[in-house]
Amino acid sequence: MSGNLLHRPPILRRPDGIGGALPALILISLFFVVPVVALLLRSVTEPVPGLQNYANLFGDGTYARVFFNTFLVATVVTTVTVIVAFPVAWMLAIMPPALGSIVFGIIILSMWTNLLTRTYAWMVLLQRTGVINRTLMDIGLISEPLPLINNLTGVTIGMVYIMLPFMILPLVGTLRAIDPMTLRAAALCGASPFDAFRRILLPLSLPGIAAGGLMVFVMSLGYFVTPTLLGGTSNMMLAAMIAQMIQSLLNWGLGSAAAFILLSVTMALYALQLRLVGAKRMTGGI
Amino acid sequence: MKLILTGILAGLLAATAAHADEMVFTSWGGTTQEAQTKSWAAPFEASSGIKVLQDGPTDYGKLKAMVEGGSVAWDVVDVEMDFAIKAAKDGLLEPIDFNVVPKADLDPRFTTDHAVGSFYYSFVLAWNKGAVSGEPAGWADMFDLTKFPGKRTFYKWSAPGVIEIALLADGVPADKLYPLDLDRAFKKLDTIKSEIVWWDSGAQSQQLIASGEAAFGQLWNGRVFALEQDGADVGVSWNQNMTAADVLVIPKGSKNKASAMKFLAAATSPKSQAMFAEASGYAPINTAAKAEMPGDVVKSLPDAYVDGQINLDMNYWAENRDKIAERWYAWQAK
Repeated sequence: MSGNLLHRPPILRRPDGIGGALPALILISLFFVVPVVALLLRSVTEPVPGLQNYANLFGDGTYARVFFNTFLVATVVTTVTVIVAFPVAWMLAIMPPALGSIVFGIIILSMWTNLLTRTYAWMVLLQRTGVINRTLMDIGLISEPLPLINNLTGVTIGMVYIMLPFMILPLVGTLRAIDPMTLRAAALCGASPFDAFRRILLPLSLPGIAAGGLMVFVMSLGYFVTPTLLGGTSNMMLAAMIAQMIQSLLNWGLGSAAAFILLSVTMALYALQLRLVGAKRMTGGI
Repeated sequence: MKLILTGILAGLLAATAAHADEMVFTSWGGTTQEAQTKSWAAPFEASSGIKVLQDGPTDYGKLKAMVEGGSVAWDVVDVEMDFAIKAAKDGLLEPIDFNVVPKADLDPRFTTDHAVGSFYYSFVLAWNKGAVSGEPAGWADMFDLTKFPGKRTFYKWSAPGVIEIALLADGVPADKLYPLDLDRAFKKLDTIKSEIVWWDSGAQSQQLIASGEAAFGQLWNGRVFALEQDGADVGVSWNQNMTAADVLVIPKGSKNKASAMKFLAAATSPKSQAMFAEASGYAPINTAAKAEMPGDVVKSLPDAYVDGQINLDMNYWAENRDKIAERWYAWQAK
């Protein structure tokens, strides 16, 4: 390996030391460190210096409810996404490559379609006078419209749909790396399909599930558009509360404190995940 | 998301608005801003040679960020009056130069040192005739789930309107509304909470009523007017209609202050006010505007329904906005 490196033209050699990382460091500090520090400062200086913003957030029942909602929605969405994504990813992993790339294309295309458009589409489908309720009522399955929107159901449907690609892609990577022979071997040894899934496929795909799951969970924690449009006021999530404090109440100290808490939780989750799964396996799967 | 989008947009506009013959007008979007563009900006551009760029929707957080960050991309902004009173106190607005903006005919109810009226409107009760059997007569019917079952829609933000409606429906006399009895209002709102759908933009209020998603709701009269003009099957009750105003303000540090003052003068002139009223169904704040309007339009405006009309107390709201907002959002999130 090192012998090869010596024969490469200098331009292809990995830059050594801090000098090579400098541009990246400058970018990170400019676009990440500086804003985060500014955010932190604002949260402890506005309207007056001190920790009263944090005390407010932790001491008030309303804010506690919003924190709870945020984690509830993220947990529900992540769980449902994993359950829906797994069969799709497995199908993609064992599909002939030509067909697989078409399905892949469809998934990627949906990711590229404007988020707001897709969320509005769900509004049209889910509302009381929407396509789904109309159809169900027309064929006589229900007599009253189902409450599919302005509640947790609407938020879950809309968010799972948007998060699916972020779960499927890392999962496919992991699943493809599993040798199909292991499953055949299990079958030959008398394992039922369910046993093979539970004792071989599932454990081997755990890194992919963990990687995708973390991504979905973290993205869900900070989600704004979909919960705002498809949820009710009682499902308010942290991002919506921050927007309200910044845009409407002009209470930037409290908004900054909430944003900082959200960021800290996200970083803590990421650090935990790194320790449990390891950075290589997590990113290598994608 | 909205913040990011408006941020990018405002940034782009800031880059282009540096020319002396341009300025940026920001309002709430939809049919209202269309009417403002047509009735105010277009004639102003023609007579002054100053190009008026449109931006929106109005975002108070954005306005504050611009003023505090010293990079003001908006020159004239349409805001709610209680916000204008508060913002002036917080030092976010430029004082109006009444040497440029003629004050004589402006309705004094909607003119302050830092704001001139944009238009005034009424909150009215509107309903989808296909979704409601019978005719709701007033706000009390909005709270009567047995007589009028179905979803009802209210303005989502903590602003003058819903609290007053709840108190009126609970039997508080119109002249005893202020100071607002919040405990009583929220108790009344609790009785229909499960049936409330919130609208947060005028366009959404129209969509909810027109589609029957909500059977009835509290709407800006101009939005109902636009629905009627589109041939939607809506009913409207002006009983206890509640007036409030939008005002035009200039954010502190506007780069085109001189143009902005001229724009205010033009937008509040009798002719522009009359044109806007005709296009939007909102009432003019220039008292000389009615002379410029056809009689049937005058009859469709909020000031044709002064019987039982209630003026929302903007000064009370400006003073208590934060305190009410805290309870409002806490109650909503429950």
